[in-house]
Amino acid sequence: MAVNAAEAAPQNAAFSTTKWSRAWQNHAPGYLFLLPWLIGFIGLTVGPMITSLYLSFTDFDLLTPAQWIGTANYERMFTNDRNFAAAMRVTFTFVLFSVPLKLAFALAIAMLLNRGMKGLPLYRALFYLPSLLGASVAIAILWRQIFAGDGLVNQFLSIFGIVGPSWISNPNYSLWTLIILSIWQFGSPMIIFLAGLRQIPQDMYEAASLDGAGKWRQFWKITLPLLTPVVFFNAIIQTINAFQSFTPAFIISNGTGSPINSTLFYALYLYNEAFSFFRMGYASALAWFLLFLIACFTAFSFLTSKYWVHYDD
Amino acid sequence: MTIRLGRREFLMGSSALAAAAALGVSPAWAQNALRLIFWGGQARADRTYAVTDAYAAAGNPGVEGEFLSWNDYWPKLATQTAGGTAPDVIQMDYRFIVEYATRNAIAPLDDIIGDLGEFDADQLEGGKVDGKLYGISLGANSVAMLANVTAFEAIGEAVPDNSWTYADIERLGEAFKAAGNGMAAMSDGSGSEPFLDNWLRQRGKALYTAEGKLGFDAADATEWFAMWNGFREKGYIVSAEDNALDTGAPETSMVALKKAALLPSNSNQLVIHQSVNDDTLTITSYPRIEAGVGGGHYRKPSMFFSVGGTAAEKQAAADFIRYFVTDPEAGKILGVERGIPCNASVREAITPTLDEQSQIALNFVSNLGDLLGPLPPSPPAAAGEIDTSLLRVLSQEVGFGGRSAEDAGQFFVDEATAILNRAAS
Amino acid sequence: MTTDAHKLTVVTGAENDPSARMRKRIVSVLAHTALISASILMLYPLLWLLAASFKPDNQIFNTGIWPTADWDIDAYFRGWNAMRVSFGVFFMNSFVIAILSIVGNLIACSMAAYAFARLEFKFKNFWFAMMMMTLMLPGQVTIIPQYVLFRDLGWINTILPLVVPKFLAVDAFFIFLMVQFFRGIPRELDEAAMMDGAGPWRIYWKIMLPLSVPVLVTAAIFTFIWTWDDFFGPLIFLNRMQDYTVTLGLRTFVDSTGESDFGGLFAMSVLSIVPIFVFFLIFQRFLIEGIATTGMKR
Repeated sequence: MAVNAAEAAPQNAAFSTTKWSRAWQNHAPGYLFLLPWLIGFIGLTVGPMITSLYLSFTDFDLLTPAQWIGTANYERMFTNDRNFAAAMRVTFTFVLFSVPLKLAFALAIAMLLNRGMKGLPLYRALFYLPSLLGASVAIAILWRQIFAGDGLVNQFLSIFGIVGPSWISNPNYSLWTLIILSIWQFGSPMIIFLAGLRQIPQDMYEAASLDGAGKWRQFWKITLPLLTPVVFFNAIIQTINAFQSFTPAFIISNGTGSPINSTLFYALYLYNEAFSFFRMGYASALAWFLLFLIACFTAFSFLTSKYWVHYDD
Repeated sequence: MTIRLGRREFLMGSSALAAAAALGVSPAWAQNALRLIFWGGQARADRTYAVTDAYAAAGNPGVEGEFLSWNDYWPKLATQTAGGTAPDVIQMDYRFIVEYATRNAIAPLDDIIGDLGEFDADQLEGGKVDGKLYGISLGANSVAMLANVTAFEAIGEAVPDNSWTYADIERLGEAFKAAGNGMAAMSDGSGSEPFLDNWLRQRGKALYTAEGKLGFDAADATEWFAMWNGFREKGYIVSAEDNALDTGAPETSMVALKKAALLPSNSNQLVIHQSVNDDTLTITSYPRIEAGVGGGHYRKPSMFFSVGGTAAEKQAAADFIRYFVTDPEAGKILGVERGIPCNASVREAITPTLDEQSQIALNFVSNLGDLLGPLPPSPPAAAGEIDTSLLRVLSQEVGFGGRSAEDAGQFFVDEATAILNRAAS
Repeated sequence: MTTDAHKLTVVTGAENDPSARMRKRIVSVLAHTALISASILMLYPLLWLLAASFKPDNQIFNTGIWPTADWDIDAYFRGWNAMRVSFGVFFMNSFVIAILSIVGNLIACSMAAYAFARLEFKFKNFWFAMMMMTLMLPGQVTIIPQYVLFRDLGWINTILPLVVPKFLAVDAFFIFLMVQFFRGIPRELDEAAMMDGAGPWRIYWKIMLPLSVPVLVTAAIFTFIWTWDDFFGPLIFLNRMQDYTVTLGLRTFVDSTGESDFGGLFAMSVLSIVPIFVFFLIFQRFLIEGIATTGMKR
């Protein structure tokens, strides 16, 4: 197609038309395919985003018009807000532990399920079940049954004579019950890994087999390199999701972040500021700071990706 | 590039999309029907809908009701209010009525509510903000101590009556400890705002003054936390770890989990707690600081109906509210689910129709005697934040040993003052 | 085709060597044992939920996991009709929204992803960065301006705010997902097609989409589940109970300040999982078939 365009162009009369026409030929298809997204972005997404950026410089209580207060919200965040510090600590701990563990778990199970064994669809469905349940009221009640002082975990531990604490309501451990919940719901990255594994052509393994490469070597030399685009995707998405994690903490602590703010996730704090304490301006500032953090992380990932992510193109 | 676009310009730019809106979309609201929004569970919804049906059947405008859980209710109401599409009749909480009223998100009712009959004066007063009536109380209730009758019987102790004192907590604490069945006498009340309020009022102080300042000092707060430390150390109340299992939902309470025999609660919540408990429950008063000292309790409006500030049919909305609180037949349907009815004739009409728990609640609120003190001024706007993000967190920090009572008392007063000042500025 | 050949070698190899076959069997038994015990862990919550839906209300919280006595199917009938509007209506609403969302996401997101993965155009990196940025802002702070926007469009109280954005590829997650998979498809295929005179539209339709069935199915499954589970959008944009979705209906069951019907909640929770589970079971088959095709073309 590109060749056709180049040949056809010089035959046009006016030079400017030619230039315009070539630009059209080169860029139009891209923009045509992008059109739905562009309409959505400009029509639906960018307006609310810019509005929220504007609101982050205002005092906005939802019920009366916003008042411009400059950078006061951002100043308060860093100088005069204990809860902000607590929320940062909780959220970073959560991201740091839940993301790698969840990804490792998802990849391991996906590899296990990709062996083409009998009953594969059933296993895959079973492993996906926890993720189907989402973060519902039922999960909140269940998690209590498991991690309370007289819950399942401690009943199990008591077999070995260990008296465990009430994990879910002890500020030293409560965050960990949420990290476990997050890892347990590893279904989405698992499915994406599976789809990625399926995209790796079988003949590459056969060729490697003939060359005498063992399973372990095949994993490092074929599977992992070819899977890097998917690993990259999962890592970025899971990190963004973990930073924005809201619902599990909300339902399990009934929106309080208790005990002692030990499950006060950043997004939960932001939500309470916006809708419980009517400080949408401050909440917007919190949100844009979070965006800044995530953007730094993502940009860093994209910059380093060319050293470890292998695309076929 | 897009940065310079303000919201207004952007909205106009996107109005091309409005063409899509013409895809045969029906008008936003059903014509002439009043929109009602309330929070609550299924039981409340059933009763409320029965009343709206009866109202419409009597030839009045239809009422389209929507109900949500408490947690979902406030974001939705705030969004609708911000968008100028708030419903006509809005269920309102004591905690938020000042916020909504001072911002004109709800309308004054003085001129449109009409004759409410013989209506409790303190309940009318509770719905006023800056002298104007913004909410009609749907029922009165009072703080009350929930008690597990079965558990008391099992250890051979009598359920405390309205004369009991803080000293009895120690006596009962020892009794439950001696029984050794894993149940403490009481849950940890140190993080309960109404409990602290009740204790302060008996000491002649208050949570907040009429000017919206703190009504107590660091010494009071320290004494409060220290008292609970004593109870906790001696095992009269549940451990901090157990108490943190309670997230405020009835099924997570210490009484529901069978970890405590007494739980600070409200008179209208007996029914709810009973529904998730197979033991027999009842209610009694909060303890007195000394025998014979009263005045801690008051009859609090459990919730209000208000009229949306942007409602088109304010009069029709007010008419519905009047029917809701004064019609005896509506009263019979509603029972005491939202608290004890404030209209005297409704109260008389429903009394014979109530079930056992409702009777207990009604008797309790009607017979507070010397426990009853004056209605406190409406709390300042930041009261909710001081409760959820300060008192509850501090009580847990003290409970888990992360902070001493002295430290917590001083910190509470300093921080609460800062929050109040910030909200006022 | 290639897979068959692979299997064939394995089978012949095993037949030649009984001890290898034995080893193979042991490995298989071990793998199954591990998977089964892991599945029990995974399945446990559902079993618990299922059991809870048959318990009387006052036993749900203070007895063990398994119902002691009185199995009781009453909660299902009670829950189904609890809200004046039957749950059947909620299910129907959820279905309509989910199906439309799938169609929208698959078309719009795959088009945008194709543009980002394969086509060259001015400001591509800028637009890509913008798209990634939309993933990063917590939705809680854009909901009010969005509400105002949809109100001005007259869309409040309709499903349009929940569905139209999907046709405009607002969900950047899926674009990013598809970009990653499209980039895994060998470029020689497009180049060969280009030599044959195929334009971008033809390449997209005849090469990209057929080769991307796994990721398209993945996107369909996720869209179904996530729109099914979403409550914040429906909560804010829908006001009439006859327009509610299943998830919104479920949330309304339990109010921490009022009397709640937990039995009904659990019964309806169980029912609400059924459609997404069935959808998952059906479509994961296509996931496998799609892969076979990929292997063949290669």
